Amino acid sequence: MEGLVVIVLLLPLASATATHLSAPRLHRGSVRISIIGMVATFAVTTLLLGQTLAGAPAGEIRLGTSWGVLLFDPLSTLMAFVVSGISLVVHLYSVRYMAEERGYPRFFVLLGLMTAALLLMVSAGDLITLLIAWHLIGVLLYFLLGHDAASQSAHRYAAWTLLTYRFGDLPLLLGAGLLYHAFGTWSLHAIFAQLASVPDPRTVLGLPLAETVSGLIALAAFARSAQFLLHTWLPYTMSGPTPVSALMHAGIVNAGGFLINRFAPLFVTTNGVLHWIFFVGLVTAVIGSVLMLAQNDIKKALGYSTMGQMGFMIMECGVGAFSLAVYHLIAHGLFKGTLFLGAGGVIHDARQDDGVPKDDLYTFVVERRPARRRQPWLLMAGITLLVPVTILVIAHWLVASDFFQKQGAVVLLFFGWVTGAQLIFSTYRMRTENIWRLMGLILFSFTIVVIGYTLISHAFDLFLYPDPAFRSRIYAAAGINVYWFDTLVILMTLVVVLGWLATYYADENGRRWKGRLSLLWRGFYRLVARELFVAGLYARFSERLIGIATRLNVLLRWS
Amino acid sequence: MSSLGYLAAAVFLPLFPFSMLFNRLFARLDNAAARMGLLLLWPQLGVLALGTLGERPPAWMLRWAVATAALYALRSVAVRDLGLWTGYMATSAWALLWLAAAFGIAAADWVLALQAAGLSLPFVLLAWLVGRIETELGAAYAGVGGGLAETLPRLSGILVLAILAAVASPLVPGFFALLATTVHALPVMPGVATLILTIWLLWAWSGARTLRGFIVGPACAEPKRDLGITATGLLGLAFVVLVLAGISISGVLI
Repeated sequence: MEGLVVIVLLLPLASATATHLSAPRLHRGSVRISIIGMVATFAVTTLLLGQTLAGAPAGEIRLGTSWGVLLFDPLSTLMAFVVSGISLVVHLYSVRYMAEERGYPRFFVLLGLMTAALLLMVSAGDLITLLIAWHLIGVLLYFLLGHDAASQSAHRYAAWTLLTYRFGDLPLLLGAGLLYHAFGTWSLHAIFAQLASVPDPRTVLGLPLAETVSGLIALAAFARSAQFLLHTWLPYTMSGPTPVSALMHAGIVNAGGFLINRFAPLFVTTNGVLHWIFFVGLVTAVIGSVLMLAQNDIKKALGYSTMGQMGFMIMECGVGAFSLAVYHLIAHGLFKGTLFLGAGGVIHDARQDDGVPKDDLYTFVVERRPARRRQPWLLMAGITLLVPVTILVIAHWLVASDFFQKQGAVVLLFFGWVTGAQLIFSTYRMRTENIWRLMGLILFSFTIVVIGYTLISHAFDLFLYPDPAFRSRIYAAAGINVYWFDTLVILMTLVVVLGWLATYYADENGRRWKGRLSLLWRGFYRLVARELFVAGLYARFSERLIGIATRLNVLLRWS
Repeated sequence: MSSLGYLAAAVFLPLFPFSMLFNRLFARLDNAAARMGLLLLWPQLGVLALGTLGERPPAWMLRWAVATAALYALRSVAVRDLGLWTGYMATSAWALLWLAAAFGIAAADWVLALQAAGLSLPFVLLAWLVGRIETELGAAYAGVGGGLAETLPRLSGILVLAILAAVASPLVPGFFALLATTVHALPVMPGVATLILTIWLLWAWSGARTLRGFIVGPACAEPKRDLGITATGLLGLAFVVLVLAGISISGVLI
């Protein structure tokens, strides 16, 4: 097992080196080496995951004295499997997609190195190795995004990404330094063992150590996972090659969720940090989703969609559903990777048919399609509110009857409820002759998805955190006072119920409100369309800094 | 003796405004070999001067050193001339050696000398590249030649590696030196540690701007003479050695 972990890291590294060295002789044919290397990497990670699933004990391998420790535990093997799988798909896709690009072999070399860095990150067993991998990913992503050496804009936004990533490296480094001084070791295993043996009352600069360090780690995760105010790089990196966008959105951006999971033994000892993580995730999820709706460029919309999803993933960590965040990052990686790799096809199709829905009267008269048959809005609102929540509660209750005891599970139930309700509302607005048949099919699909989701997330929980006491501690660390929680639940239920009733009512009688709200709505749309001016503010700040530096240089006569 | 020793150390492990002396001298040198020699020797003289003091520098001098490093890191962001940029970055990096000496990271003088050499090597290579670019393009000025990746792919590959090493990217000696300095400063002077990290961030920004100015853009119309395969191979090998040196030095520093 130990040997396999090292082989997993060496394979992409060796194939990248061989691709680079053979490029002058084999030219474009050299990328075959890269593909073979990735196939082999994926095969070995599959074997590793298989062994872990079969119950092979977790352990570590030490390549150096103070650093160079590699882990093989459920989290690292699962993540290595996901990383190598996505990387293999991106490699295969790039063979034809990048064929006309200059620097074709170089692109595969960089992809191989990036895969090696990602694999090093997920299997890092000490803080130094983790820092090295964390830093390297930012540097390699800069070169992958700026692959087109003739494009100034690609490099501009690649540099923006690099800076955000470097900004995220700093709190991680500070946190690592504090942990080293507190525990006298760089080894994650040794640090977590000490944390588990005694509750840690230590302070640093008058602040509690665990809270300070976990806050810094969370900040590093926020930068990597594009949380609000550190998100601007994500939607702007679309000038890079599409396979890189796919790899970035499917694999690299999820690193925040991985990092919080890796430091789970630290987070369970904290008080209040997870609440802040929840808050940041929630704000990001809402803002990312709103900004996505205002975009008219498919790739930029996908960028903001990823931001929203990352917010949701971080929020899951904030409610204590750590393993669910891992499941989310894998599921998101798969569907977002697919969307990016298919974006070119969608753009091609859009050139044939714009897909803009036609007016009801036009479709009825010219296309002779049936007019939309509306059902009573109150009945539909009732179905929208009751059916999804019933399915969700039954599915959760079947998997774990005590789920109502976990505040995090209840919070996530609300999001499932809103999503299910949204699905029924979309059905209600669709043009169909038999709405009940369509709704029946959609609800059946929803039930299958919910049951599958519940079962898989439960399986992830058991696989990643097999100790039930530890699982309870995670939820406890994320919990709040029961009185306040119950009050919030009642409040949120009221908001959801009244919100959907208002939505259905407005859909039926909306024209009366339109005039009054349009001014407010237009103002809000302008703000959202300009992405809340965040990127502009950063650009202004950097220009100001460059201006100060120039003035200093002139004042000091360039010496 | 102590005051003279401190003065010598402040000149050779440059503290502002003594740092202006090095930068003025560096800018005046036209010859690449002379610049390379200066970059190698200057900090070693500083390490020697620091060694003669026989005591750890006081806290106010450390704040002065980190302020110098920050000043030159910020100034390097606005510099377009690669030669000047090399001088500023070297000044910023060497100033941080004061902290390495003070926090006892370099337990022996030879370790500090090794650290200084490790920090200087990427700048030595940059000085050589400046000469080469000036020969080919007439000036090593960001944005003037532009598009080096298309025009001189091998040379720009080496330039990328040299800049990455100069901004203390992982596995080169500079990375471990900065990591060790930050970690050791953290419990004693947390503000200084945070400032070191900010300097690191400024280096990355400055490096990315410099890279963009040189390698990005459409290819130059006139044909240029790129590095030979052997020279590129040898320079690539030098980077492998630099990485190995970084890994070796990490055992001593952290």
